[in-house]
Amino acid sequence: MTARVWAFALRSLVRQPGRAILGILGVAAVGALLFDMLLLSRGLLVSFRALLDSAGFDVRVMAADAPVLARPRIADAEAAAAAIRALPDVDELVSLRLGNATATGADGRPQDVFFLGADAQSRRRPWILLEGQDLGAVGGEPSLVINRQLAKGMGLRPGTEVTLRGDCTRGVPTAAPPVRFRVVGVAAFPFDDPKAMTAGARLADFARTCGLDEHGDVDLFLVATRGAGAAAAVRSIRALRSDLHAFSNEEIVARFQQVGFSYFRQISTVLSSITLFFGFLLITVLLTVSVNQRFAEIAALRALGFARRRVVVDVLAQAVLLVGTGGVLSLPLGLLLARWLESILHAMPEIPENMHFFAFEPRTLVVHATLLAATAVLAALYPMRLVSRLPIAATLRSETVT
Amino acid sequence: MSLLGILYLFSTAAAASPSPVAEERRAPAILVSRQLLASEHLAVGDVVTLSADPKGARPREFRIAGVYEPVPDPARLGAAPLEARLHLPDLMDLTADPADPIASDSVRSINVKLTSANDGEAFARELAARVPGILVRDMAAPDDSDVTFVVLDRFHLAISLVTVIASSIFLLALMVMLVDERRDTVAILRLIGLRRRRIFIQVLAEGLVIALAGALFGVALAVGLEGGFNRFFQWRYDTALVFVRVTPAIAARAVSVAVPLGIAASVAASWSLLRRGAMALARR
Repeated sequence: MTARVWAFALRSLVRQPGRAILGILGVAAVGALLFDMLLLSRGLLVSFRALLDSAGFDVRVMAADAPVLARPRIADAEAAAAAIRALPDVDELVSLRLGNATATGADGRPQDVFFLGADAQSRRRPWILLEGQDLGAVGGEPSLVINRQLAKGMGLRPGTEVTLRGDCTRGVPTAAPPVRFRVVGVAAFPFDDPKAMTAGARLADFARTCGLDEHGDVDLFLVATRGAGAAAAVRSIRALRSDLHAFSNEEIVARFQQVGFSYFRQISTVLSSITLFFGFLLITVLLTVSVNQRFAEIAALRALGFARRRVVVDVLAQAVLLVGTGGVLSLPLGLLLARWLESILHAMPEIPENMHFFAFEPRTLVVHATLLAATAVLAALYPMRLVSRLPIAATLRSETVT
Repeated sequence: MSLLGILYLFSTAAAASPSPVAEERRAPAILVSRQLLASEHLAVGDVVTLSADPKGARPREFRIAGVYEPVPDPARLGAAPLEARLHLPDLMDLTADPADPIASDSVRSINVKLTSANDGEAFARELAARVPGILVRDMAAPDDSDVTFVVLDRFHLAISLVTVIASSIFLLALMVMLVDERRDTVAILRLIGLRRRRIFIQVLAEGLVIALAGALFGVALAVGLEGGFNRFFQWRYDTALVFVRVTPAIAARAVSVAVPLGIAASVAASWSLLRRGAMALARR
């Protein structure tokens, strides 16, 4: 299409500004909803994958393929960890124990916290240090890293002390005496929800707080791989210990895709289809009515020497201008709308703070543009057909008589 | 008690049963979920082996006495409920830790049905005071799952709002085109003596009829699609959950939003015509 075609189509639209503006606004609203549904369709997967990768571990090993609370722990964990560490594809392994504790600060007010114990001898940690120091590998007084929420809620900072009473056997209070910890750092725990109060300690201190054997069972191994990558490491671990369940981040994401929040993918598919149909209907109606009202003008243009192809292309160009302008407007509108919808959905309980329902990927832009372009072409088909079959003489006569 | 992920189903042995009567005496009865029955190709009457240990330690045989449809749980949509129901003594016998002498005398929770459901909060308070160390919860009190659905409700409302805005723009565009086409008719009506007010009432009545018809058609379409939508998602997720239900209240809300919007769109679109003089409308 030449510049002359675009200019002519633009003039046709500008001649009826109210109609053109409403058409563009309609496409912008529909396009914004479509854009958001595309963001929603993969948002949780993209951000979940980013969360899994954030700490640098690419394989997780557990005792059973079951939900956390119903999952047995990995027995004889030290031997299992040593055997897995010795595998050539494994770079590093961190043992993890999960539990709860009651924290009591200087003001004596108790606070329930999510408590995790991690193997502190590795370079990597299941948290990201934000302030202060990380836990030392061995020795020294019991030390603790806490999240910002806990620091704020209990007025803690690096250097202050806090007492923890463990509750690590799933609802059964421990008989172990409370342990006094020194807060050494503030960290971000990737899977924390916005209200979570979380504290992390070395495995030995965790075991002491919970009255457990330091060398006993653990909940999870976090594995960082090297060389052939996560898939090869998973194969090696499965071959080594068939009783354990090893999953790469890809496998966890694939499983999450099947069951976790699939509702949002379904609703995004349904709403994307509806919005596209809606956009198609809007453009078809606008162009068809516009063409119907311009029959005399189009017939006159044909009589003056405009080729059939030229007037057909003019209708297509109008559709592209309407959808293109509306589509461009729909992007900032869609991003604003996504922020609003995200703030609504993020009020759901137990959604990690860094997990997002609407996550942007460059491919979303491509899919959005492709779908809108296809809508523009499909919507223009019927009015293009009307124009291409317009009988010149009969139309001119009929319009003149009218 | 739901046993998802806790008990491990190891094998079936229906064909090897020596005598149904003897077997019935030996193997306690269990119920299995429809999904478990299908996924493991079991049948009522089969004898299955269950263990609380992932390695299959201390297995026990049970006879499938029946199948049940699990209570649909929206929070576990997409996860097949592979569950079994055991008599409490059988379950405690199967799951109790032999090293723990009080394990066979402990339960995780006790469900209490009160004579009056309204007394839940007071009962929970009183029981917690009388028996320290236990956690008592009124099931009618809001919890996290309620919050989830409140949030989903808000999300749906927000999506509806955006849809209504988009629809309103569409409607306005349609009405503007309709009015454009009727410019000459309005001019003639004005020229033959009809007053602005009379034409305005006609526009209003037209808008009302169109909006009412559209809204009723929309409700009828939703009712018509309700069954298909539910059947598709029930098949997709293998659940008895109802996803869409067009209630009279929802239909009334849809009509109460759509009709004023339709009337407003027709009035807004006709406004420029109504303001102009008869000669201007007739292009004179």
